[in-house]
Amino acid sequence: MAASAIASINFKAAALELLPEGANFEACLSCGLCSSGCPAAGMENMDPRKFIRMALLGMDEELSTTPWIWCCTMCKRCQYVCPMSIDVSQLVFLARGNWPEDRKPAGIVRSCQLATSSDSTSAMGMPPADFVAVVEEVLEEVRAAQPDFRHLQAPIDRRGAHFFVNQNSREPMNEPEEMVPLWKIFDVVGADWTYASKGWAAENFCMFSGNEDAWREVVRKRVDAVNQLGCEVWLNTECGHSYYSMWQGIERFGLEANFRLESIVTYYAQWIRDGKLPVDARWNSQGIKFTVQDPCMIVRKAYGDAIAEDMRFVVRTLVGEENFVDMQPNRSANYCCGGGGGFLQAGMTEQRRTYGKRKFDQIAATGAAYVLTPCHNCHSQMHDIGRFYGGHYGVVHLWTLICLSLGILGKNERIYLGPELRG
Amino acid sequence: MMRGSGTARQFSTQLAVIGSGIAGFAASIFAVNRQIATAQVGNTGALAYTTGYLDLIGKRGGAVVVDPWQALASLRESEPKHPLSRLDTGDIRQAFTEFTDFLGACGLAYSAPGTGNLTALTPAGTLKQTLCVPATMAAGARALAADAPCVIVDFKGLKGFSGAELAANLRQRWPRVTTQRIVFPGMERGEIYPEVMARALEVAATREQLAAALRAVAGTAELIGLPAILGMHRPDQVRAELERLTGREIFEIPTMPPSVPGIRLRELMQQVLPQKGVTLIPQQRVTALSFEGDGATLALCDAFGPIRVHAQAVILATGRFLSGGLEAHPAGIREHLLDLPVTQPADRADWYRARYTDPRGHPINSAGIEIDDSFRPLTGEGRRYHERLFAAGVILAHQDWIRGRSGAGIAIATAFKAVTEAERFLAGRQAMAPGAPPLQCH
Repeated sequence: MAASAIASINFKAAALELLPEGANFEACLSCGLCSSGCPAAGMENMDPRKFIRMALLGMDEELSTTPWIWCCTMCKRCQYVCPMSIDVSQLVFLARGNWPEDRKPAGIVRSCQLATSSDSTSAMGMPPADFVAVVEEVLEEVRAAQPDFRHLQAPIDRRGAHFFVNQNSREPMNEPEEMVPLWKIFDVVGADWTYASKGWAAENFCMFSGNEDAWREVVRKRVDAVNQLGCEVWLNTECGHSYYSMWQGIERFGLEANFRLESIVTYYAQWIRDGKLPVDARWNSQGIKFTVQDPCMIVRKAYGDAIAEDMRFVVRTLVGEENFVDMQPNRSANYCCGGGGGFLQAGMTEQRRTYGKRKFDQIAATGAAYVLTPCHNCHSQMHDIGRFYGGHYGVVHLWTLICLSLGILGKNERIYLGPELRG
Repeated sequence: MMRGSGTARQFSTQLAVIGSGIAGFAASIFAVNRQIATAQVGNTGALAYTTGYLDLIGKRGGAVVVDPWQALASLRESEPKHPLSRLDTGDIRQAFTEFTDFLGACGLAYSAPGTGNLTALTPAGTLKQTLCVPATMAAGARALAADAPCVIVDFKGLKGFSGAELAANLRQRWPRVTTQRIVFPGMERGEIYPEVMARALEVAATREQLAAALRAVAGTAELIGLPAILGMHRPDQVRAELERLTGREIFEIPTMPPSVPGIRLRELMQQVLPQKGVTLIPQQRVTALSFEGDGATLALCDAFGPIRVHAQAVILATGRFLSGGLEAHPAGIREHLLDLPVTQPADRADWYRARYTDPRGHPINSAGIEIDDSFRPLTGEGRRYHERLFAAGVILAHQDWIRGRSGAGIAIATAFKAVTEAERFLAGRQAMAPGAPPLQCH
């Protein structure tokens, strides 16, 4: 069957509707700061400045059909550095949604279809019963194998718990032992938390596919799940776009959410400050250097620098001030790693790695042995480009290092640590 | 209630600086040095467009200025309302010294303000006069003066920087300058940007590859001139390392925007000021400024929601049209935040002279807000708008910074004055302990 045709969008008219006052195309100076600061610039013979200029010239057919919209991760760095605050990502989102489903990158579409196929909202298609079974199985194993944690809890569907905790599907599907450090942290701080059999998953590729109906459906299921359990806080664990898609989805679609959205990074910092997580850097007697990756989705696109500072506080405490090396640029000015926007799922490996070269250079310039990041897409992308470009760094979750510092990290919970920290 | 859609986040501070151009950042530096609690807000402005040169006065009446300090004296006589005419020469010198010392302490070395202007290279191979230059650029003018054998290297795919153009324009004064074009390591295809090259040079492996490529074309040249790409965060180290690897002295020449020196300044400020306690919200435009009995309130909104900043004093450094401090409307020019009266031509038809290149400039370019001697903006009746409000930078009337080659000078010197006056006001109000802290940067 022949692929569907891509309809043409009037980008100039769309921009007038989408872009806020004072940020219209006519304000563009063509200075090129957007393109200069964009890792996707040059791919598919396109860049953000060119996108704007072509829109202004009415080159709607070219823009409607350019595959570059799948290389742009919608990270909003172009808007961040633009003196006129022009947001190209909104137009890219519009263009993505305009592509027929059969023309969109199949991996993104499939991830969205799977998310809408069950009440789990898992982009890997893990049904509720399987998730519950995996959690129970892993919990049993930990209780049996780690005597200090024979009392460990991983509640599911507990009504009235303070925290409704989400989970990226990668863990229950592929590396279930990686859930355990998080449970241990909750145990140490005495958190009142629960998973849910419904709406537990974190990822939302429907947003990246430009499919608004499906995005809304996924967010609605999650909102319903939290509302039904009566939890006060939906706690986003170490997944970047999960937060953004939920936050923006609730606002965009006018959903009634009877709870707060929070990031676990905020709580890591708070629990350390409150003395509930008594971590320190004594374990790092070798002086191993660490850097952090600021996920666009929770820093530049959401909380801003405040959460980036919280993350640095956590990491500095964990690894030692002298062992922390900041990536440059950082916080809200940081580059997207190239794993966002569905790029990892899009099957465009060559373009994704080209995009990721700038991240690789940033990491290489720090000389750090490890990158810490509270985002699964960042995690996977940095892991991949590290191997591809011959890097010598590891990528780890914050939960791993917290438990390492507390001396409670199990032997099989160290898959992302190098031999010097495998214990 | 969801986070992000609830009540505004609140910040309280002694001094709020509105604007994130050179004037705004200079004001924050001076405030930090005086231990004034500071919040800086306002959108990014034109900082990233700077060449990196810090001009004081480079031209007067179309003629090149060799001694800007002498030019200041004549400026006071001919243009007493010019912002620089309202400042002591000693204050201007101290402002430049303090500003460049701060940058140097933070890893971006600059020449100190000297007794006269320095001759500096432009991207086109013409020369200009400026007061302070980044250390990475200093050797170019020296080599020109000495007619040292030099090769200017440009790169395949890099637009707006042509070694051939530079050499052609310089050769009459610099016979021993030559040019070569090479491929930047790992950037063989398509358009490339100085920003990307500079970041790549933060990596040792890229430096080694570039050095090898430079050695291959340097021949008998003692110096290598490059576009401004020598790293983003450690330019002095990157330069030293490339000099070691090539065995030649290396200098940078500014490029067309978007250029590295401006991005360097912006990222340095965004990195350092929060470390020094400044509440920095640099990419968001302030939407409202109001004054109450006990202070001022700034309103703005970032991606996450509304923010309010409460301050005892405010410095308005919002720039001109590009940065949004001034707005051009059919009925005239307006100051966007407080609707302060703007001194401007009586009629829109008088904004421009007939010839774009008229050496006298255009009347619109001298439009701006009025201030008193304490750099407080004035109302239409000539009264202070508010005792807590000060102003700095090119939003001030009676200057044409482009034709005067005095943009950084006006920004830095007026920021110094505004902070000095704000400090005096705050001290009077709160009996603040005087004395500047030692200069430190971690």
